Amino acid sequence: MTKAGDWKSYQRVLLPPVKNLHHLNIYRDQGGYEALRRVLSEKSPQDVIGEMKRSGLRGRGGAGFPTGLKWSFMPPVDPDKPRYLCCNADESEPGTFKDRQLMEYNPHLLFEGILIACYAMSMRACYLYVRGEYASWITLMEQELSKAYEAKLVGENMMGTQQHMDIIIHKGAGAYICGEETSLMESLEGKRAYPRIKPPFPAQSGIWGAPTTINNVETLACAPLIMERGGGWFAGIGAEKNPGPLLYGISGHVNRPGVYEYPTGMLITDLLEIAGGMRGGKKLKALVPGGASVPVLRADMIDGVTMDIESLKESGSMLGTAGMLFLDEDTDMVAFLRRVARFYHHESCGQCTPCREGTGWMENLITRIDDGEGNLRDLDLLLDLCDQMEGRTVCALADAAAWPVRNTINRFRDDFERRCRPSSWAVNA
Amino acid sequence: MADFIRNPVVRLPDPDPEPHFSSDELNFTSDEKDRISAWVRQYPTSDGAVMWTLWLAQEKFGFLPPEVLQLVATELGLPYAQVYGVATFYTQYYKEKKGAFVLDVCTCFSCQFTGGYDILAYLEEKLKVKRGHTSPCGRFTVQEAECLGACGSAPMMQVNNGPYAHHLTPEKIDTLIQAMETGQPLPFVSITLPQDEDEMGDNRRSDADAIESYQTPPQSKRTQ
Ligand SMILES: Cc1cc2nc3c(=O)[nH]c(=O)nc-3n(C[C@H](O)[C@H](O)[C@H](O)COP(=O)(O)O)c2cc1C
Ligand code: SF4
Ligand code: FES
Repeated sequence: MTKAGDWKSYQRVLLPPVKNLHHLNIYRDQGGYEALRRVLSEKSPQDVIGEMKRSGLRGRGGAGFPTGLKWSFMPPVDPDKPRYLCCNADESEPGTFKDRQLMEYNPHLLFEGILIACYAMSMRACYLYVRGEYASWITLMEQELSKAYEAKLVGENMMGTQQHMDIIIHKGAGAYICGEETSLMESLEGKRAYPRIKPPFPAQSGIWGAPTTINNVETLACAPLIMERGGGWFAGIGAEKNPGPLLYGISGHVNRPGVYEYPTGMLITDLLEIAGGMRGGKKLKALVPGGASVPVLRADMIDGVTMDIESLKESGSMLGTAGMLFLDEDTDMVAFLRRVARFYHHESCGQCTPCREGTGWMENLITRIDDGEGNLRDLDLLLDLCDQMEGRTVCALADAAAWPVRNTINRFRDDFERRCRPSSWAVNA
Repeated sequence: MADFIRNPVVRLPDPDPEPHFSSDELNFTSDEKDRISAWVRQYPTSDGAVMWTLWLAQEKFGFLPPEVLQLVATELGLPYAQVYGVATFYTQYYKEKKGAFVLDVCTCFSCQFTGGYDILAYLEEKLKVKRGHTSPCGRFTVQEAECLGACGSAPMMQVNNGPYAHHLTPEKIDTLIQAMETGQPLPFVSITLPQDEDEMGDNRRSDADAIESYQTPPQSKRTQ
């Protein structure tokens, strides 16, 4: 069992050190698709879901929902009604680049995971929604997928059984919001990707009204490992309450940025050391632990904090996508927040007023402060704006915009105040 | 009120624009039609194929003016409004003509602090073009992009919605622009995972066109 503390002896499983693992024959030499074969011949769908529940795997797309539980929400099979799986490879959260590396280096693990999930939930098709910018990776995956079709691992009578499952790659065209699950479904249906109001949840009414489950790339890639080695093995890796291997995408002012695979629950300070420490021997100022949507942490807040859902929540942030951005002491937090606000303003789909207008005003106000023309009371206006946006919209993008704004201002208040002019008249005048 | 009606604040698109393509050009070859019907078969209704078909149309025509959207709508049997709605929702579909090379420079936060804006400014100066516009020679369009999912190899950009160019520096930009001007295709660059470098000594893919390591990112001078 690997606890996060023994990371030095950790053996990678999502991206094991095998040359050309993306080739089908090499993947099969390594025992690839054996888990699927065993699942198809020996296990019932309930067994698979039970094993997933035992593993304790929680979704890697950002929300951290228990995967086994999500799979068990699918309604009983109705032979007249299709059911779909969607694999969310829209990965557009700033600071996140792990799914792309997984698709580049171990695509068959993802395909196998998709097929296991389809079997567990009695589905015949999976749409793999890849963001449009990943055009090169779509081409690479299409090559490997067609090899898997030729080898009869996917498609009609796959692996010599009566099963028929298809994997269909769908290419997005550049919209962050398509990562949101209901928006992804609208996009697949060939519409403008406006998120839907929930309920009904995708398991009741998803794409084309059919029961649908949506999972992240990394989540699905864990499924073959769990089937091969058992849920108990998986549950023993890393943090107790959200176990498993995790891809950490480290970027920013570190000496060795990149995607690292380690157990969940790693100490942030250890990860910083693994990534070669801060560039130029500078001091750490701030850390974004899980993509742009999660609250930023000040350097003095990370001692003893580990990269798992519970510990980060306690310290006042979230695990998100584990895309970690380290920022050094020279970083201008006002410019940082200005860019984050710009991102959300650009990516708001415009469906809900608090989000469409709020993100715009956020950007305007922070730009004004960044340009040295802001007043102190603009900070309170911004915080008030966050209250007005949170929890009042169709999807969580408005919340995801409000959290970093609120927390960056609160945690780096000095940086902001220094840039503001004192309010020269009473607020209620 | 009457003034308001006469001078709308929001400029509506020209209801009857001059077409960019003649009706002879506006058709799909039988090969393309086969591809489209293959996509249509992958979805329960033809709606699902609209994004793939728009990509195909953009590849063929370079951008998506109304007459091309109408062609896509006719081909798929969908209302024009739906196709127009989809095309205008996504940033990667070009609604107006762009340069032969579209450079999407990422300036989102990881790139912002490692020189994304320096690269953008360098390109603006080198190609004599403002961000969001096309250079006077009509060859290069320079745009600011949101996170492109390659934050570990920042600063970076994407060329023509295709290959990524990582670890940009002014010198590297010079070489890349020269390669584009002489018509050489940009390679697909595979970035070696740091753990692979330690455990395997090299990139795990032996079929990549070009290989780079993640490297210490530079410091940015500009942040906007
Ligand atoms: C605004 C927004 C953007 C999202 N973007 C992504 C994304 O790019 N990739 C992803 O896997 N999940 C994304 N999610 C989370 C998905 O809605 C969904 O929770 C996830 O794909 C479920 O997969 P999981 O259970 O495997 O984590 C996003 C959510 C929101 C609210
Ligand atoms: S919260 Fe924003 S992104 Fe989400 S549906 Fe509303 S307007 Fe669209
Ligand atoms: S911030 Fe530039 S690629 Fe992610």
